[in-house]
Amino acid sequence: MAQQTSMMQLFEKLDDLKSVFIYGQKIIPVIHSLLDFMKDTVPLLENINRSIADSTTKIPKAKHHIHDVTNATELATTEILDIVDTISDDVQTIDSKINSVIEKEKNRASQFDEIIALLDDKPEVKSKLVSLKEELVSQDVIESIQEIISKIRNDAYNITISLQVQDITSQQLAAVNHLIESVQERLSSLIITLGETEIKEMRIEKDATPENVHFDPQASYNKETSRQEMADSLVRENLNASQEEIDKLFS
Amino acid sequence: MSIKFLVVDDSITMRRIVANSLKNLGYNDFVEASDGKDALDKLAADDNINFVITDWNMPVLSGLELIKAIRSDEKLKELPVLMVTTRGVKEDIIEALSAKVNNYIVKPFTPQILKEKIEQILS
Repeated sequence: MAQQTSMMQLFEKLDDLKSVFIYGQKIIPVIHSLLDFMKDTVPLLENINRSIADSTTKIPKAKHHIHDVTNATELATTEILDIVDTISDDVQTIDSKINSVIEKEKNRASQFDEIIALLDDKPEVKSKLVSLKEELVSQDVIESIQEIISKIRNDAYNITISLQVQDITSQQLAAVNHLIESVQERLSSLIITLGETEIKEMRIEKDATPENVHFDPQASYNKETSRQEMADSLVRENLNASQEEIDKLFS
Repeated sequence: MSIKFLVVDDSITMRRIVANSLKNLGYNDFVEASDGKDALDKLAADDNINFVITDWNMPVLSGLELIKAIRSDEKLKELPVLMVTTRGVKEDIIEALSAKVNNYIVKPFTPQILKEKIEQILS
């Protein structure tokens, strides 16, 4: 009886084993296709890994290029500012010389008037002197020259003001550099399985990158007045609040 | 009363632009500093400085930290400070006002705005 029970159990186990074999037969093609997929995927992943490593080593160069651009624009801006300063100084010199000419012309005109007044008995000489006086530089000419000088002065100053764009773009470039740095860090962590040598090389290049940049990531060369208006409004609110506090203290 | 300005900015370009603007407005007396720490050194060395124009984003010590340092210094706490910065977000402006900045200019500024803010503070 016991022997019969054991045989029954054995048959049950054999049935189970049969089911496993049947299941195995079904699953074998799936495993095959999985292996084929892995065979195809591994070189692809290796390729991706190599590309990431390659891109990561190029990032420090990009950062240096951006830093060089910032330095170059700052240098160029300084040169422009030097030239604008020279123009402004020259315009100032011209302006003072013109003022001195105006003074001299005024003196000459009054001297002419004095002499002309003394020549009532010599009409011919008087008339010649009157026409000579008319040849003095006219007030209209002087005024138009002064207007041009004033315009050049304003234009030069406006160039100076427009050069704020250099500071703003350098902050934008610093923000881009910061973004590149973050990408580099992520990529470096992705290829951490690569050889120790490659990682060391990347670290050396990273350390060589200038780090002393401080910037506003949202800097923009925006001439719209809305941001200044908001600042003005907040400053006014702040002033009013302070005044209310003072009023409360004294009431 | 003669005004001596301290222009604080890490950008050489911006220091020159602000300095030129001051000259254009008839203020010829000014010194420059490249960051907040440099500014505090200049303030300690020169008692005649009575107006500070500062940027926000600077290395070593920022403009905001500079304002806080000025306001916590018994000798300097009444010093007028005008901030000229690219930071035009409401939260930033409120933060600067909380640090007791006297007025605030968002870059790029116009000469008229600079004149107006300086005159507002001086009045």
